[in-house]
Amino acid sequence: MRKSQNQFESLLTARSRSELRSRVGGSGVKVTLPQAQQLVAHARSLESAVQTLRLGIVHTYTSDLLDPWLELAAALQGLDLQTYHAPYGLSPHEAEPHSGLVTHKPDVTLLLLRREDLHPELAKPLVRFDRAQQETIAAEALERLRDVVGRFRAQKVGQIVLTILPPALSSELGIYDAQSERSEHAWWASLKARIGQYLRESSQASLFLDLDDVLERVGRSTFFDPRLWYSAWFPFGAEAAREIARRVIGIGAVIKLPRAKVIVLDADNTLWGGIIGEDGIHGIALGPDYPGNAYLDFQRRLLDFQQRGFILALCSKNNPADVDQVLKEHPHQLLRDEHFAARRVNWQPKSSNLQALAEELNLGLDSFVFIDDSDHECAAVRQALPQVEVIQAPSQPVQLPGCLDAVARLEVLSLTAEDLVKTELYAQERRRRESKEQAEQGGGDSRDYLLSLGMKMSVGLNDVSHLTRLAQLTKKTNQFTLTTRRYDEQQVQEFIRATDWLVAHFSLADTFGDSGIVGLALIHIATPERAELDSFLMSCRVIGREAESAFLHTLLRRLAEAGVKEVVASYIPTPKNVLVENFLPEQDFEKCADGSYRRDLVKTPPRAESYFPITVEVSPGS
Amino acid sequence: MTIFEQLRGAIAATLKVPPDSITERTRDEDLASWDSLGHINLMMTLEQTFDLALEVEDFEKLRSVPAMIEYLKGQGIG
Repeated sequence: MRKSQNQFESLLTARSRSELRSRVGGSGVKVTLPQAQQLVAHARSLESAVQTLRLGIVHTYTSDLLDPWLELAAALQGLDLQTYHAPYGLSPHEAEPHSGLVTHKPDVTLLLLRREDLHPELAKPLVRFDRAQQETIAAEALERLRDVVGRFRAQKVGQIVLTILPPALSSELGIYDAQSERSEHAWWASLKARIGQYLRESSQASLFLDLDDVLERVGRSTFFDPRLWYSAWFPFGAEAAREIARRVIGIGAVIKLPRAKVIVLDADNTLWGGIIGEDGIHGIALGPDYPGNAYLDFQRRLLDFQQRGFILALCSKNNPADVDQVLKEHPHQLLRDEHFAARRVNWQPKSSNLQALAEELNLGLDSFVFIDDSDHECAAVRQALPQVEVIQAPSQPVQLPGCLDAVARLEVLSLTAEDLVKTELYAQERRRRESKEQAEQGGGDSRDYLLSLGMKMSVGLNDVSHLTRLAQLTKKTNQFTLTTRRYDEQQVQEFIRATDWLVAHFSLADTFGDSGIVGLALIHIATPERAELDSFLMSCRVIGREAESAFLHTLLRRLAEAGVKEVVASYIPTPKNVLVENFLPEQDFEKCADGSYRRDLVKTPPRAESYFPITVEVSPGS
Repeated sequence: MTIFEQLRGAIAATLKVPPDSITERTRDEDLASWDSLGHINLMMTLEQTFDLALEVEDFEKLRSVPAMIEYLKGQGIG
């Protein structure tokens, strides 16, 4: 009691919301309801909310009791939460155009369902059915789920988050379940995999939030509070409610807050135990024995984050040669040179190094998550660069491997082919830059250099097969973007289906590798002779290679061939897109009195493909 | 802090009402936010604040401040 009270009070000394969030997330302190209210008040007193999160909850069991925990999680993320609880039950009316849910205009719609909502037989023992009958039930349950999710998906209800409540009691066959051919557990695991596949392949902006994972984390006896379940149809104990709320709000944070893209790591006492400059390569803790094994596991965890699409960078106060030696020669080091998209190893202040990394990677500092074990470094970065999310690495090595698991912005709601090779793409870019510097030192001009890359651009038109990536580009691109309009997958799909819209994307390959899809244009053909450039954006990864102009003029040529005489565009300035301030005039757009831009395709025909150092191939979509 | 003062703080935070609106005689029907869901939250708060384990049967009996104080005294608290 005493210990937890002191732990709780230490939380209230946090001086910024991000510090408070980092402490609450990493502490494992149990929080009572009145304490949750105190934390909410403290979070709000530190900084005002940066965004509103509108949450809709459709539920077949009591959901209101989640509210205090949802509020706590939202306050820690700096989100002002507006929650709508639909009337109890899975009524089809909630999925109609004027329902309470739809008029609430949710950013996130949480579906809290029970197994028996998917199939009435699931209210009774499943093991009384043989394998074939169980398969029929699974197929029917999946069909029912597709119907439910499909109805909601057809309305504007934001990101759908589907949950199915685990059973309050353990497996029907007890310890024998794992071995039985009628195993309830195996049946459920297989159905979950099919639900996941269905959502991934057929339903946009829909996520299965697996409550079994929360149950595993907190344990069944903590997950369920039978008193609340049987007396009020509210299943969750306080700890489970808090964890579920944290995950739901985390999804909201991923949607509403700036995207995290880079994990910047300190080295000493973060990637390994000890100080390389003092302890030497044989003295640092990293390997199969404690505490080196905890650092090893943390490095493995960082590789997991790389697979989620985050890029890794290094920022360490050390002699570069010492750190280099560990990356190259230490037998147990998992993170090698090629895993880091960029690094700063020197004696400069970390805040300057973080700014330099942001410039090198062409990414905003608000996409940075910085991890360091030192109180002092964390405080200094929080002070100088409040937009960077700072996570202090725990001082006990055993706490280190899991220390990023509660960081909401390190969750992903989808994964694209580009995400899986992101660091490799940045590493290609680093080699390209080095090659360019060499070419310039050799006296060659930049056109020769660009031609030497042998660039090939593939332009895809109205192609639904990359919806996730296209929507992701509108959401993630902040710098090279004319209008910064954000669209979800469903909206992009609507543009592709509409006959008066042209949705074009491109990828770029050269001798160093393939960029994946990095550029997108959304063009509204307002009249047969007039087109409007609704969105035009490109990942900064491919900047400086004339790809943006080659792409634009390819589209302008197609529009001109189709009879379009004039293209209208606009530049909407934001704090981040000053990079494209002059892009339109440079492409022969003329500024009009109302601030918009116009390009006459007849008087000034688009530039020919040969004008650019890039070969272009256009494939019309399906 | 007396047991009533502790209780008042906990109830006020849980039901989001000013502490002054709670007296030693307050019961559920006096406060709009002390509805059935508010009551469940109060039961959780009571458990966590005073380190108790309540039975479902206790929930119904604890719908007023005097009933809570009496219960807590019965448990040797205060």
